[in-house]
Order: sequence, then C-alpha cells, then structure tokens
Amino acid sequence: MYQDSFVPYVNKWGRRTNLLAVALSLGPAVALLGVFGILPPTAAIVGAFASVAVTFGWAWFIEPLSYYPVLGIPGTYMAFLSGNISNLRLPCAAAAQEASDVETGTPQASIISTVAIAASIFVNTVMLGIGAVALVSAFQALPELWRNALESYLVPAVFGAIFAQFGRDYPSIAAIGFTIALVMTVLLEFGYLAFLPSYPLYAVIIVSVFGTTLIARWMWHHDMISPPDEASE
Amino acid sequence: MDVANSRWLWLSTVPVVMVVLLQAAIFLRRAWKDGKEMGLSEEKLKTGFKTGVISAIGPSIAVLAGMLALIATVGGPVAWMRLTVIGSIAFELPAAELGLSQFGYSLGDESISETAYATAVWAMTLGGTGWLLVSAFGTRHMETVRSKISNGNEKLIPIISAAAMLGAFAYFLSGEVTAGTPETGAVAVGGLAMLALLHVADSRDIQWIREWSLGAAMFVGLLAGVAIQVTVGSWW
Repeated sequence: MYQDSFVPYVNKWGRRTNLLAVALSLGPAVALLGVFGILPPTAAIVGAFASVAVTFGWAWFIEPLSYYPVLGIPGTYMAFLSGNISNLRLPCAAAAQEASDVETGTPQASIISTVAIAASIFVNTVMLGIGAVALVSAFQALPELWRNALESYLVPAVFGAIFAQFGRDYPSIAAIGFTIALVMTVLLEFGYLAFLPSYPLYAVIIVSVFGTTLIARWMWHHDMISPPDEASE
Repeated sequence: MDVANSRWLWLSTVPVVMVVLLQAAIFLRRAWKDGKEMGLSEEKLKTGFKTGVISAIGPSIAVLAGMLALIATVGGPVAWMRLTVIGSIAFELPAAELGLSQFGYSLGDESISETAYATAVWAMTLGGTGWLLVSAFGTRHMETVRSKISNGNEKLIPIISAAAMLGAFAYFLSGEVTAGTPETGAVAVGGLAMLALLHVADSRDIQWIREWSLGAAMFVGLLAGVAIQVTVGSWW
C-alpha cells in the first residue's frame, strides 16, 4: 500500500507542486517589473545570484540529503516548499510521531509526519500572514530612533547569532573564517583589491567561503577537528 | 518603501502561498485515506494533526519575531512570502544583503534605490529555487545518493558544509563590524546571547528556548546596538 500507491502519488504531486512554486515564486519580481517597471540590469541579477549560489549552493544539496531520513519522502517535498525546517517542521514531525506512538522509520511514522507537517503549514501560513500585516503598520508607527535601530542593528544581531550557532560546534573554523573575511573586507575598503575587474566584493565572498572550506579540510585530514557527537540541528 | 508595501506586491505573493497550502491539502487527504488502510486508527491520525497544530504555534511566533528584521528591510509582502515559502531568516536576510550589495547598498541603509531593492527580491527568489529544484527532482533518488556519498567520506561532509557556512557568515559579519561600533556591538552581543541560550537549552534540554533563541538573541543584540549608539556613538 505505502510503497505501491502512496509513495508514487506523493512523488507525482510533490514534483508538480514544487515546480509550480518555482514559477510562481517569481511573483513579486514580476510585479516589480510589470506594475512598476523596475528591472535590475542583468549583470546585477547574475552577480547577486552567483554570490547567493557560492554562499548557499552547498545547502541546496546537503540539507535535503541530511533531513530526508527524518522527514521521509512526503515530508521532504513539503518541508523544502514551505521552509523553516529545523526550527518548525522537524520539531512538529518528531512531536507528532511521539504523541501518536508510531515507531520511527516505519511507513506509519511517515504518514503521521505528513499529517503533522500539513497541520503546521496551515498554522504558520495564517499566523505569519496576520503577523506581517500587523507588523508593517506597527513598524511604520515607531519613533525615528527605533525605526532606525531596527533597520540598522537587527540584521547584525541576527548574523552574529547565526554565526555563533554554526560556530559553536567548530570554534577554530569560526575563528579562521572570521579572520580571513575581516582581512579581505579591510583590503577591499582600503582599495587594495582594485586590480580586480568591477567592484570586487565577489573576491571577498569567494576567498572567505573557499578559504575557510579548504583550511577546514586540511585540518580534518590532519586530525585537528572532528564533528560533534550530536548534530545541533 | 511605498512600492515594497503596495497592494500589487501583496497580490503577487498570493499564488505561490496558495500552492503551499494546496500541496499540504493534497498530501494530507491522501495520507489520511492511505493511513487508515494501513491500519492507523482515526484517533492516531487526529493526535498527529493536533500535535502538528500545537507544536507549530510556538515556533511560528518565533519566526514572526525574526520576520520583523525582514519587514524593516524588504517590506511586508515579500517578507511574508519568503518566510511562508522555502525560506528562513538565516537564508533570506543574507540573500537580500547580497542583492543590495550589487549596488553598494547594505541592509538598513536609508533610501535604497528601487533597482537595488528589486535586485534583493531577485536574489532571494532565484536563490530559494535551488532547494525547490533539488527537492522536486531529487527526493525520489535520495536513498541512492545517500548511500553513495556516505561511502568513505561521510564524516567530512558536515565539516565541509559547516566551514562553507561559517566562511559565508564571516563575510557578512566583517561587513557589519567595519560599518561601525554599534553594529559591532550588535554582532558580538547577538552572538554571545545565542551561545548562552543554546548552552542553557542543551544542558537542561529545554526545547522552547531553542525555538526562541534566534528571536531573543536578535532583540538583545538590537538593544546593545541602540545602547552603544546613544552612549559612545561610533568610533569608526
């Protein structure tokens, strides 16, 4: 039943809906172009996409592969369509399997996690929708100092927190990565990278990402680091 | 930001959000029906659904707190769409920053040009499709790929991906640290708050602290930035 009927059905519709979402997610970009006539130059879009791909390209493949055993087949389609996986979908699926007393890894567990993830999607779509509308008006009503503070300091605080979260397991790699990035950024700001074509921000990103990765690999081969016993996510 | 919060942008986000809901409805209906035929009781299925609803409330509020940062920078509709479809704060903020940086702007700058804003939207959109395409085409092959990869270098994979992530976020941090003293304070205090919260969550095994850690660390870091701005100002 599960292998012969449920899984093929999920594969068929999962692929269709996720591909449809790829097309429809262009909505805001298309609205900016169609309604307001705003289209960035191709070079800027390509440059931005290349930077994002260098930074997150790993995660496109690593995350589905590493969460798949927990999420199951339907859960993988749903979780990567709706996002917020480690902080929302995984806990919901795990809690539901626990509460309905099914054995992890069985087809029954996969059915329960499908039901739970669907439920979580209904809840968070509605809550975030209401919240977005309310927060926009709240934000516009704030006094100047706090609006400025939200615009200027919320982002660095989030970046600091996420860096700490990843760096907790590998403090030495975090320190090395930060040193490389800071040196490259200072070189850029003082104009020492001007020999490179156009605005060489990409050089800072590439050297930071690949430099840190190569050093980490070298350290691993020399037994200087090891993965933590338990993954933090 | 008039464009960013306009009615047209709200409307443009509706279709893709509908797809998310539609997929959830299709899968839920089929799982319910097939689940019963596989011998799961109605009661167990209801428990699964209810637990899903209840466990989603806390984390959703936490995501809402994180959404404030995105609303302040890209407006309500895009923030809602990006966090309902595909995204998480940890991806969307950096992606937006990378888009803006094509024109030399940074998140939080006054009067960002409309073109730079549109580039941020494109960067988030195209960047997010990576996960959608991998899950659309790859899910049915996951089992095969996993067994191939884990052949040998299994232990190196988490280290390499953590290092790539750390390298990328180190780049974001260095941009903030060179921007000024309040920004540096926000980075440092946000990071330390996160470490403290995760330490407490781990040592006492309290799940809700883990869910709230990013939202809480974010606000503590924000307050640190404001405190430095109104006291010592910026030294560089």
